[in-house]
Amino acid sequence: MADPNKVDPIHQFLISDIVSFGDGGFAFTNSSLFMVLTVGLILTYLLVSTSRRAIVPNRAQLVSEMLYEFVANMVRSSAGTAGMKFFPFVFSLFMFVLVANMFGMIPFFFTITSHIIITFALAILVFAVVIIYGFWKNGPKFLKLFVPSGVPAYVLPIVVPIEVVSFLSRPISLSVRLFANILAGHITLKVFAGFIVTLGSLGFLGWLGAILPLIMTVAITALEFLVAALQAYVFAVLTSMYINDAIHPSH
Amino acid sequence: MRDAGGDGEEERVRQQSRALQEKIARAQGRHMAEAGDVPQVGRDMTGMGRAMRLGTEFIAAILVGAVAGYLLDQWLKTSPWIMLVMLLVGFAAGVLNVVRAADQMNRASPPPPGSDLGPGNDDEEA
Repeated sequence: MADPNKVDPIHQFLISDIVSFGDGGFAFTNSSLFMVLTVGLILTYLLVSTSRRAIVPNRAQLVSEMLYEFVANMVRSSAGTAGMKFFPFVFSLFMFVLVANMFGMIPFFFTITSHIIITFALAILVFAVVIIYGFWKNGPKFLKLFVPSGVPAYVLPIVVPIEVVSFLSRPISLSVRLFANILAGHITLKVFAGFIVTLGSLGFLGWLGAILPLIMTVAITALEFLVAALQAYVFAVLTSMYINDAIHPSH
Repeated sequence: MRDAGGDGEEERVRQQSRALQEKIARAQGRHMAEAGDVPQVGRDMTGMGRAMRLGTEFIAAILVGAVAGYLLDQWLKTSPWIMLVMLLVGFAAGVLNVVRAADQMNRASPPPPGSDLGPGNDDEEA
């Protein structure tokens, strides 16, 4: 990092210790800091905006109510009314991913969802909930998830492994999708912004040429806001669909 | 005089509350109708969102199949046979995932009525 003109698009994902506890490798990192900030912002906003409990809401309360309605409709439409007991779970996941993604769009902020360990932990949490609740509610009938109805017995040895692999691939695709979208978007943004600086060092013509990556950077920034919101939505929708499988395991 | 005015007021309030009740009942009816609909998931996903969804669904299944096969091979010392079989199983699971995801997307946004979708499977000319 000695050369200021050298563009290092990966540097923004570096994890650094803020406070470390002993030699065991435990530390409060910048990632932990932003997780705390994310949860803190969500809690503060929701608590403050709904504290008045007005019948005619002001703007802040209206936003909170719209978030509630949005997630509630999502859960109801994909998991039915029985799925509403998982509303707090889906709402927490949605808000955490959404606010974490949006925090990532602020310059110099750390994007926690750009690390696969975070998104994978969230996805494994979803699957732990689905599997535990599925077995708790349906008992051994939960295994019907892997046996599609109306399939003759002699093809089952082929179909069941396929269904099992398909089920096991869900946490992978759920976590990789979120992580890859955020990581790729942030790197692209950084690379295009880096072009501006590199071209600018070439003199007047360079500055003229730098207009093109500047336009790209502005456009990609807008796109990234869209992706940040969309991926939070996709994560929550798929979570409620998987919960639907736990409630009604037969296809 | 005062009583008559009070009655008129009372009647007006009663009417208002009845109107409000009807309005609430209507809104609730509409809400229930919406809730009873087919799942509306993914109706407002962008093209890129859909593409990412299908791509990751496909690749994740292949990876899971191959890794599971590899681990089984390590355990049973049968390298590379289980991995080869599981790779194919993973491929099949990936196709299954994509078909399911596409099916959901199609159900979420059905084509507008009257659009020409070409001939169906069952109206082939004999």
